Amino acid sequence: MAVTRVEMKTASATSVLKAPRIVGLALCLTLGFVAHAQPATNAPASADDISRQLLQRIDQLEAKVKQLEDKQSAPAAAAVAVAAAPEPPPPVEMPTVNEVAPRLKMIVFGDVGGQGYTHIPDTFLFGSLDLFMRARLSDKVSVLGEVLFTAENDNSISPDVERLLLTYRQNDYFTASIGRMHSWIGYYNTAFNKGEFLETTTDRPFIFAFDDQGGVLPMQEVGLNMTGKIPSGKLGLNWVVEAGNGRAWGDPNTVEPAQNNQDANNSKSINGGLFIRPEKFSDLQMGFSVRHDNLTIPGPAVHETIATAHAVFINSRYEILNEAVYVRHDEPANGSVFNTSAFYTQISRAFGSVRPYFRYQFFNAPNDDPVYFYASQKDFVPPTATSFIGRLNGPSLGLRYEFTEHSALKLQYDRISLRGFDTVNGLTTQVAFTF
Amino acid sequence: MKKPISVASLLTAAAILAVAASISFIVSVRSVEAAGDPIVVIVNNSNPVDNLSLGELKKLFLSDRSRWDTGKAVAPVMPAPGAPERTAFLKIVCGMNDTDLGKYFMQAAFTGKSATPPKDVASASAVKSFVAASPGAIGFVKAGDFHGDGSDGGVKAVKIDGAAAADPGYKIKM
Repeated sequence: MAVTRVEMKTASATSVLKAPRIVGLALCLTLGFVAHAQPATNAPASADDISRQLLQRIDQLEAKVKQLEDKQSAPAAAAVAVAAAPEPPPPVEMPTVNEVAPRLKMIVFGDVGGQGYTHIPDTFLFGSLDLFMRARLSDKVSVLGEVLFTAENDNSISPDVERLLLTYRQNDYFTASIGRMHSWIGYYNTAFNKGEFLETTTDRPFIFAFDDQGGVLPMQEVGLNMTGKIPSGKLGLNWVVEAGNGRAWGDPNTVEPAQNNQDANNSKSINGGLFIRPEKFSDLQMGFSVRHDNLTIPGPAVHETIATAHAVFINSRYEILNEAVYVRHDEPANGSVFNTSAFYTQISRAFGSVRPYFRYQFFNAPNDDPVYFYASQKDFVPPTATSFIGRLNGPSLGLRYEFTEHSALKLQYDRISLRGFDTVNGLTTQVAFTF
Repeated sequence: MKKPISVASLLTAAAILAVAASISFIVSVRSVEAAGDPIVVIVNNSNPVDNLSLGELKKLFLSDRSRWDTGKAVAPVMPAPGAPERTAFLKIVCGMNDTDLGKYFMQAAFTGKSATPPKDVASASAVKSFVAASPGAIGFVKAGDFHGDGSDGGVKAVKIDGAAAADPGYKIKM
């Protein structure tokens, strides 16, 4: 519509600009015609009468010229005239699917809040500041970048390039991305990244805590991700395959989990998964993944296998998340096997802008696991995942209130049972927003 | 040490919440209100598609399917926020309102999906013009804005789950 109106305005303005010339030409022609025709048609009239008539005519034409000039100097009035005119043919607006510009789109997420736990001083929290950028370079190539600022345990705020991905999308059946990404382990890690505003709860389930914050799964990966649909009719089958450097293990205070620049060994982590999103129940997604990596850690070599399964149902009213994770660490040199298991279930329902939720989570890792060796229970500060190994389980109950379209207040109570330690109770408030 | 809330009371509260949510879900799921004027789904005349399921329609408008079988890029278009047919369409087809739609595409972008939100245009005639001009476009207008006698220019109506807009079993109504 805007295009047409602009075109019409332009056309109208052009006409107005040309009007004085046309009127002038018409005036000359009229004068000439009148001068030429007058003697024939009004032969009895005197020369004074003719002159008077001509002057009268000139006055009329000058008034018309002035009227047109006034219109030209008053575009608003012209616009009103255009608006009042019969509706022009509808505009043609081209689809934006393949649009390159505007190239860069940016979303900023942030969260602040406070928390009180039974074993640590009550505190206000900075939370995080998340700068998410995305650009489409062509109809098939796009880039994604995410820079994160989070508060560390020592109260410093450090920047972190969370993701940097170049993506090539051939069609719905094949998309390939290369760079630093969130690994496709389970559902939560890729569905909810760092922007807390998009999460219902104040924090991630313990099993999906980010590895650079002490989590036990390799949530971040540097490598290649390929995904797409599988022709399967109404079943809605999708595939995912990933290959990457895997995770580095060691003292979490000094070792960066993601091997950004140099893999410690030639063995690459391989991850594969399938999930379905049936057409009849399009809010439902179910799937599984299996990941294998050979870890380079102090001591004997360890083969790591991570298997996950999920069943989630999400629409604008309901959110039902269920995930289970199994981690196997195998030491071929001495035949030792260490199994870690975890699951969580989360249920919420929106009542307008208010969404109460409940989550129960369970995590159990053997104390002598060779990979989690550096974790230490004495440093564990719930609800952060840093340095915990053992059994952890408990419910979380909370309320999320979206007080504007782009900001939410969350209040969450956690009760965390730990093997060998006192049960911990905590209350967290969070204001998460995006702009 | 503060006195902890008992586990039993917490679990009871959680169980009540879960049961209430489940009952509400069972009652409400797929209970599509379809009582008012039909909303006609239109595609470009060159598009061979004559019938779509409600599920397919949702995929097309939520960018879960990016190409037609012809290879043309899917380009959904809808009237601007506030139009009653848009509100009804989003509710019935996508199970969303405008806020949910915005959040859906924000999350899709954040998770790295190649999702493009539907194009917003000002009027029903603009929807028809957009669809007429774009071979891969799909849109919807109120039945009163679609004549079906060739005067709509370059667009045609598609059936939804085998039903035309005038049929009694048609599901997308205001």
